[in-house]
Amino acid sequence: MSEFEFKYERKELKTKYFTWGIVLLIIGLVGGIFGYIVDNERAAFANVIALTWITSIGIGAMFLIAIEYIVGAVWSVPFRRVAEFLSSLVLVAPLVALPALLNLHSIFHWSHIDAVETDFVLKNKSPYLNESFFYIRFIVTFLLWFLFYFMITRNSRIQDNTKDQSLTKKNAVLSAIFLPIFAITVTFFAIDWLMSLEPHWFSTIFGVYYFAGSVLATLAAFTFIAIKMHDNEYFSVKMSNDSFYSMGALLFAFTNFWAYIAFSQFMLIWYANLPEETFWYIARGNGSWMIWSLGIIVVKFIVPYAILLPQPAKSDKKRLKIVSLWILFGHFYDLYWLAMPTLNPAGVSISWIDFVFPAFAVGLLIVVFHIVSKNKNLVPIGDPRLRRGIEFKL
Amino acid sequence: MKTYDYTIEPDVIEKNPTLSEINDVVAAPMEAPPSNGWKVALGISFTMLIIGALSLGYSLYYGLGAWGNNQPVGWAFPIVNFVFWVGIGHAGTLISAILFLFRQKWRTGIARFAEAMTIFAVMTAGIFPLIHTGRPWLAGYLFPLPNQHGLWVNFNSPLLWDVFAVSTYFTVSLVFWYVGLIPDFAMLRDRTKKKINKFFYSLFSLGWRHSNRHWNHYEMLYLVLAGFATPLVLSVHTIVSFDFAVSILPGWHATIFPPYFVAGAVFSGFAMVQNVLIVLRKLFKMEHIITIDTLEKMNKVLLATGMMVGYAYGMEFFIAWYSGNPLESFVFINRAFGNYAWAYWIMVTCNVVFPQLFWVRKLRRNLVVMFIVGVFVNIGMWFERFVITVTSLSRDFLPSSWDYYKPTLFDFGILIGSFGLFFTLVILFIKFAPVVSISEVKGVLKSSQPHHH
Amino acid sequence: MEIDNKKLYGVGALFTSPNKVSDAAAKIAEKGYQDWDVHSSYPIHGMPKKMKLKWSPLGYFALIFGLTGTSIGLFLTYWTMSVDYPMIIGGKPSFSLPAFIPVLFELTVLLAAVGTALTMLFVLFKLPNNRHPLHDTDYMKEVSVDKSGIVVEAKDKLFNREEIIEIFKQLGADKILDINLDSDEVNYQPKILEPKFLIFLVIVAFGISFLGYFVNNKLLFMTPFNFMVDQQRLDAQSKSEFFRDGFGMRLPVEGTVARGQVYYQYKGKPELAEANLINPLVPSEKVLALGKKKYNTFCSPCHDYHGTGNGRLNGQFPNPPSLHSEKVRNWKDGHIYHIIVEGQNIMPSYALQLTEDERWSIIHYIRALQRSMNAKEEDLK
Repeated sequence: MSEFEFKYERKELKTKYFTWGIVLLIIGLVGGIFGYIVDNERAAFANVIALTWITSIGIGAMFLIAIEYIVGAVWSVPFRRVAEFLSSLVLVAPLVALPALLNLHSIFHWSHIDAVETDFVLKNKSPYLNESFFYIRFIVTFLLWFLFYFMITRNSRIQDNTKDQSLTKKNAVLSAIFLPIFAITVTFFAIDWLMSLEPHWFSTIFGVYYFAGSVLATLAAFTFIAIKMHDNEYFSVKMSNDSFYSMGALLFAFTNFWAYIAFSQFMLIWYANLPEETFWYIARGNGSWMIWSLGIIVVKFIVPYAILLPQPAKSDKKRLKIVSLWILFGHFYDLYWLAMPTLNPAGVSISWIDFVFPAFAVGLLIVVFHIVSKNKNLVPIGDPRLRRGIEFKL
Repeated sequence: MKTYDYTIEPDVIEKNPTLSEINDVVAAPMEAPPSNGWKVALGISFTMLIIGALSLGYSLYYGLGAWGNNQPVGWAFPIVNFVFWVGIGHAGTLISAILFLFRQKWRTGIARFAEAMTIFAVMTAGIFPLIHTGRPWLAGYLFPLPNQHGLWVNFNSPLLWDVFAVSTYFTVSLVFWYVGLIPDFAMLRDRTKKKINKFFYSLFSLGWRHSNRHWNHYEMLYLVLAGFATPLVLSVHTIVSFDFAVSILPGWHATIFPPYFVAGAVFSGFAMVQNVLIVLRKLFKMEHIITIDTLEKMNKVLLATGMMVGYAYGMEFFIAWYSGNPLESFVFINRAFGNYAWAYWIMVTCNVVFPQLFWVRKLRRNLVVMFIVGVFVNIGMWFERFVITVTSLSRDFLPSSWDYYKPTLFDFGILIGSFGLFFTLVILFIKFAPVVSISEVKGVLKSSQPHHH
Repeated sequence: MEIDNKKLYGVGALFTSPNKVSDAAAKIAEKGYQDWDVHSSYPIHGMPKKMKLKWSPLGYFALIFGLTGTSIGLFLTYWTMSVDYPMIIGGKPSFSLPAFIPVLFELTVLLAAVGTALTMLFVLFKLPNNRHPLHDTDYMKEVSVDKSGIVVEAKDKLFNREEIIEIFKQLGADKILDINLDSDEVNYQPKILEPKFLIFLVIVAFGISFLGYFVNNKLLFMTPFNFMVDQQRLDAQSKSEFFRDGFGMRLPVEGTVARGQVYYQYKGKPELAEANLINPLVPSEKVLALGKKKYNTFCSPCHDYHGTGNGRLNGQFPNPPSLHSEKVRNWKDGHIYHIIVEGQNIMPSYALQLTEDERWSIIHYIRALQRSMNAKEEDLK
């Protein structure tokens, strides 16, 4: 214990990125408003993509925190504040959802009661797919997430001062309770916002698919920010490459996991060839969507896989940063692929609106991260496992 | 509530044994004459094996009419047993490969045994694809060998993928296991005094000489093997799930099947490993190597995977309704409330309800409770495969073809025999090879590694 | 001194503390020794770095083996499913990659895992090596239990026994000992082509050949329990002791009429048949298609596809006369029908092979053939 010397000096994040974030946010906001005026439908769809992207990272970060507590991981403890700040995106996600909620009819075919009346399948689903229940699910889901967000991060913050070990135990219990709730809420969030865009289509694995993509994107954001902050010495300590290796390995693992889930879904639908399922993939093979679909394999699997495969790459901070940004982009690409063929069935048609919402989302991430991190320790200095985390060796 | 100290890394091995004590403890069962308990256990499992062999022999002689399989339930006990046993094997690879990649040190005490179980379980599983046609000697046609018909195997068929998956899985597990055993055999070679033992240990240890130049490559190999075994283990049960899921039968065709089957496999496998370890650690006095903490962690995995399986059950039900496909909804309602409702509720109770006991720390650390829950989990997981296979098939698209499947005595005989084979192999293994990886356990002892300066 | 050095394999030092051995290893590496090694019954953390060992290249081997496996799988699936015996299964193209991915994946893993492991054991380590001088030494016995040790071999260029012992002493070795070669080890020359090894190879080769032969030629044709095949019944075309004529196949009882069979009343009376039988079918596309199919199947072997009589069995049987002759063209349909039913000269009866409708269809087709060779002027209009 005596050898351990770690003196944390609090530094506030530089304003450079914050300014960029504000710029992006304003571009996104203004562009988004214009978008809604010019092309209401497209803006609403782009809004859904931004919403699901932001939620992915927010809820994914909560998942990372919970997993850390559950399995007793130590390498991630010094970086846990990064995940905690990211998880605060959950708080702003409902705001992102607001314009979409106001334009529900532009997004969801099932929200048109007259269309549902004449459609046997949709009529059958209407006990689930109706506006009021949709709102209820939305509210309940986010309330649950808020609840766990506040409880877990609060305990973590209090621990900075009290260094009370029982708080770690408390958070472990909270995390254990959170995970099953997380599984269910994320699934229904994905079904509501992405799967029901094509209300006739169904796939039991869809929740897992969204989960895999979300955790992958979160890990990428987490890795990028953690490395950036580490290199700018916000953590007041130099971590060995072994800590970053864990990030690289997890990115690699989840890239594979995502590919596995995506392939399973495609394979089963393609092989069985049932018309009520295949139409979804056929729509994504329509015209230029075919190129986009094949691009998914390259963007989300081959590129990150090839970059992360060599052993040294997993702890090479430079490569990790590049691949993290790539994966964050890939998540947009994937969400676009999930949502947009419903709007443009004939082929890919890209408009400026498709760019302002991602800009808004990225800007929001940066701004929220900065605001939340204000006046807070960037390292959980009270966590009893911090020392083990800093001294982490493979 | 027990007070925790998170500041120090918990010991994986208790009581702080010295390196030579570990050698002694692990080698003891192999050096001592077989105990009576061991003989009785072997006798029982061998008897079960004989029952299975006789049932199987009769089935092959008489024909598969001896089994309960009949239209419309053409797939029954053999595939249920196959999936069950392959699933049991998955825990071994999970512990030895995935937990290795996750740097979970608690795996060291149980990894060797779990790997051995993988191999035995896959061997047991492999019997069923061979016998289910009633003509096992024609199994050569399963492989893409040039033959007199000029025909090749059908690479589009999930049953063929199974052949590739299971044989690859078996081979890779065997390599993984053997590579791990080499240093331990070398240790035994240097220890033994009997000439015959020395000969065999020398043979199997290949002249390993504990060189650190070798360890350098060896650790890399271990990483590579773990890296390959991890996706492999996912792929194996995924492909097993494809057997069902690529079809268009309601209740079989669900996209969640691949991860759901993998989770279920890990679930049942952990239950089996945990059950046998509880007996083993008592029998061989290895309580400090296979600690209560390790078992508790296994129980947590059981709880987690049990809930994953529960999630899949729920998701299947929800989507069956959500899809608006009346056939799908019928199958699921039929599962829960139809002829086989008893099997369905056994499955749900054993797989989802009982593991919830593990939320309580006291129960999680209670040997009796965890043993019973483990047994229940295995019963439940066997029934899960039964429910999937039989309920979907017994209700054909044409109500006139509906039937109620009843297994015969021979079906049960073969099921008993599969347990007999598995346990016979396990019991022989614990006598003739080190059940705990000596080199790995030594490596995680705190006294064995240099401290960082 | 010379003789001593020959017998001496190296000098070993045993350590209890892992800290000491890892420091000692670093020291020895620094001194520039080449032929030395650290021994411990478990991998010591950080030792490769201390010993200045190179990064293990096994990862590259795994990559190469893995890609080989993928290529083999790709070739196997492509060649068997799309080239050698193309098949459409489940409405998918004969080369449907998603369905092959499981097999490709398994082969990749299989080759990568097994290949890398074998490479390490047999190529990098050159195992099995039970004759290594370290075996059966006291040094090895201790290392295998709870000590870790360092050996500097005598063949190292910098080797000097006294100096090394001195170094080991300074490094705090618990025990320092000479490791000598046994007398048989001194004279032992490793040879790859030892008789024992050759015999082993021969046995393996024979074993594999026999197994391959047995599986491919015997096992796959075995029918151990074939009582479903060997029943007490007469198979088609088999001999029978029971019936006086020795035929297993029986004729129907006299006078029985099979379903759909019409009694032929002009047996042996072609003139009557010609006079009385009229083709009941009207030539239509369907009828002609049926006639063509049946003609090509049953008639064309002798009569040729075009009725010239120069069929594919030319040479094995005498050619039948051309169907385009004046005589045949002038026959009425009934005559041809009679010949199909009864046969003529060496032509057998085709009554069993062809139903009534098929016979009449063939006649229409023959008429069409005849017309094609002897077209009337009006056909051109």
